Amino acid sequence: MVLRDRRLLLTSVVLPILVMPLMFLGSNWSLKKREAKLQSLACRYAVQGPEAEWVRDLMSRTRERLAAEPKGTNTAPFEFEEVACTNALAALEQGEIHVILEGGKTPAGAAGPAGEPAGPAAASRKPELRPRSNSAPAPLPRSLRLVFMGNHDESVTCAHRLQEALEATRRAERVALLLERGLPAPPDKIAAFSLVDVATPGQVAGVNLGRVLTLLLVLFMLTGGAVVALDSLAGEKERGTLETLLTTGATRLEIVVAKHLLIITVALGITLAQVANLLVYVGLKLVPVPGSLAAAVTPATGALLLVLLLPVAALASGILLLASGRARTYKEAQFYFFPLFLLGLVPAVAPLLPGLPLRSAVAIVPVANIAMGVREVLIGSFDWPMLALAWVTTAAAAAWTTRGVLGYLSAERLITSSERDEIEFLGGLPLFRRRVWAWFAVLWAVLLVVSSYLEKADLRLQLLVNLVGVFFLGSLLMLRTYRLDPRQALALRQPRPAVWLGVLFAVPGGMLAAIGAFHLLNFVIPVPPQVLEGFQQNVLPQDIPFVQLLFFLSVLPAFFEEIAFRGLLLHGLVGRFRPVTVAVLVGVVFGLFHLALFRFAPTACLGVMLAAVTLLTGSIYPAMLWHFLSNLGGVLAARFDIPLAHLDAGGYLAGAGILCAAFWILWRNRTPYPGLNAWRDTRPRASQTCNE
Amino acid sequence: MPSACSLIPPVNPTVIVRDLTKVFYDDSRGELRAVDGINFDCRPGEIFGLLGANGAGKTTTLRMLATILKPTAGRATVMGHDLATAPEAVRRSLGFSSATTALYPRLTARETLDFFARINGCPAERVSARVEELIDRFGIGAYADVRVDRLSQGMKQKVAIARTVAHDPPVLIFDEPTVGLDVLNALDMQKLIAAFRDEGKTILFSTHIMSEAQKLCDRIAIIHQGRIHACDTLASLRAATGLYYLEDIFVHYVEQSRSQAGESPASTSCA
Repeated sequence: MVLRDRRLLLTSVVLPILVMPLMFLGSNWSLKKREAKLQSLACRYAVQGPEAEWVRDLMSRTRERLAAEPKGTNTAPFEFEEVACTNALAALEQGEIHVILEGGKTPAGAAGPAGEPAGPAAASRKPELRPRSNSAPAPLPRSLRLVFMGNHDESVTCAHRLQEALEATRRAERVALLLERGLPAPPDKIAAFSLVDVATPGQVAGVNLGRVLTLLLVLFMLTGGAVVALDSLAGEKERGTLETLLTTGATRLEIVVAKHLLIITVALGITLAQVANLLVYVGLKLVPVPGSLAAAVTPATGALLLVLLLPVAALASGILLLASGRARTYKEAQFYFFPLFLLGLVPAVAPLLPGLPLRSAVAIVPVANIAMGVREVLIGSFDWPMLALAWVTTAAAAAWTTRGVLGYLSAERLITSSERDEIEFLGGLPLFRRRVWAWFAVLWAVLLVVSSYLEKADLRLQLLVNLVGVFFLGSLLMLRTYRLDPRQALALRQPRPAVWLGVLFAVPGGMLAAIGAFHLLNFVIPVPPQVLEGFQQNVLPQDIPFVQLLFFLSVLPAFFEEIAFRGLLLHGLVGRFRPVTVAVLVGVVFGLFHLALFRFAPTACLGVMLAAVTLLTGSIYPAMLWHFLSNLGGVLAARFDIPLAHLDAGGYLAGAGILCAAFWILWRNRTPYPGLNAWRDTRPRASQTCNE
Repeated sequence: MPSACSLIPPVNPTVIVRDLTKVFYDDSRGELRAVDGINFDCRPGEIFGLLGANGAGKTTTLRMLATILKPTAGRATVMGHDLATAPEAVRRSLGFSSATTALYPRLTARETLDFFARINGCPAERVSARVEELIDRFGIGAYADVRVDRLSQGMKQKVAIARTVAHDPPVLIFDEPTVGLDVLNALDMQKLIAAFRDEGKTILFSTHIMSEAQKLCDRIAIIHQGRIHACDTLASLRAATGLYYLEDIFVHYVEQSRSQAGESPASTSCA
């Protein structure tokens, strides 16, 4: 069906195939012509200024040097001639001359670009070095200014060539003088240094290809896939065929998967056509490629790259389908395309950032992580756990977009003019629960950007911006947007007195359990010791008073992080999932917000425990106290070198025992979070919908 | 005098609708009850017509039965399959034809029939034979291999109807099928619908054209502002109102509903 769309074939396949060689040939031809014109250029210059004679002398020596050079050694031979002018600047502006050489004197220490040391013998044909008398005032050095017009190609070329030629003359004269005065060898041969690259040609080619491969794929996927993606939902909506399709026996999932496959097939088809096209240019030597490229991409590497790039293709297709599903018409879908195209390219340029490793927060940024993984694979570094994490993260993002498309296919706005469903119309808590993930995704992105900007800033500023600017303001925005009751949303209730005892027991046990979780994860993803040391130095800088450290690292997080995570996030998830799932989800999100892989396991573990205590007690206060004491313990242990991280297994088991005892106390004194079991009531209702 | 409905053979209903309600929400209109607790049954070999003005709730009702809209309340079954719990089975049991022909412009008529037979679960080995059968039956052989976007409106309508029955479903839903057709094509369409009824299929049919309803429907439900105000055979409706023309009967019930608007009358059950 796609092949019957002549416009599609013409714009996406035929035109690029025809236009690209024309572009290459045209640009090559014009470049060569321009080069030839500039090569044959006879440079006209005027000389002026009080040191005009010295300039003429220098030019004459340069001419002689160039004439004496054997043929072929001068990379840019050219002719130059002096033109007599009464008004050199006007002549330059009118293009009668290309450069003005202005000879003058510059105060000491302010030599011009072509300046040279002055001396009484400087006017003679061969400059000599003379010892400077201590009593005599230092004579002003001569200088030469090359005045040109930056908006005229010929003027720019002449100026640069003259500058090069004059500097080469001065260099040659200096070397000759030094050799004459007894220097055993030319200065550049004395204590010479050289660069030695030990990377294989394949590795060099691999890193270059790795920087752009994902970017190219995303580029082709988005441009090629857009042609069918925008039509496949928005176009069908406009034609009315979507309604017909939705009344067939096919499930929504089957429809979405079929559309995904179509988009990926068409996009890859167009990509392959363009690659084949490119290979033709390579064959015609219109596009240069590194000879060692084949060494970088072995068949095994190629297969791995294909597997790695698969979720990127699925994600690009999913994003296009989302835009198409969101739009009411094909035209509206086209409006969405350009911003999406630009946003899609942003993560794909991650490999171009210098010094950014895959083993960092980028590992959980979809597309960027695969782009980094592709680069590392191409340079021969196979960090399997991180590659797996990158693949899973991007695949999860692709699945999430597919789920979003399924949601759009089930949305009634596809069929009716009604804009909203009941939840959107009424707003409040149900709408907040629907959108809580999107809010925290945005907060995470903001935190990532802010943290990267403030990486070198004072720790106190970083914490204030993150905790108050991101978490607290974000929480206030959520409360206000959905008109949530703060007492309900933040669980501001008084727990039973015995709960406090349970929390006091839980803190040491929880800390040890969190450290144990870190050690367990360290088996899978080992953390270099220098990373931990660097982190400790950053978090516990010596120049911040200890009391302030305690305030910023213990009090503020216990307050603001609890409001965001055990307050709003937990409130948004309660009733939608089983209590255990809620605790795990809150913990995982809490771990992800710490933006470092090695901190994920302990913070997620702590997050799960804090969510559990909030669910058991129906109050945020115990979690705040626990969080405060836990961070306090961590700061004190680091400050006073208490070896919590180096206990034996028995120590951690004892910690787990204390934690169990603490949870037993909390369980015995539980006052569960309101609406904790609402998921049981919502489950049958959900299955009664018409939507798959 | 026995009820007109009792003249219909007492066979099991293929479509059962109970208290079906649909509420729309949007910023400009607020909360809108498009369908408000309607009840009716349809049986095999029957054309059941939903007669109402524009915006009465006909299309919304049919779309809920086709599972593309989710009921706000109430329940319905098609061939024993519940809308809520078995939407795919419901969709396989019915053919839905919307007010527009809604065909893929770059497919030929033959490809359209082939695609819809397959997607609705017609066994692969039977698809070709079924497509040929439909082409013969609907007389579209002359243009079976022409792209749909090059066909006239009448031809497209025939292809659309053939597509609706491609998988031979026992229940057919036609939402204003003669809208935009000239007299001759509209007559052809009515003949086709009557032929499907004669084959024993259940037909739900919505229209605002009185003559069409009068001519085709075995039973007529008069729907206004989301509620069914009368539901019976034409003879029974005439007897109940003392009016002969369906147009007058329709106006009678609409006026009656307007006069009772302040009293929130309950919907008439057509079960």
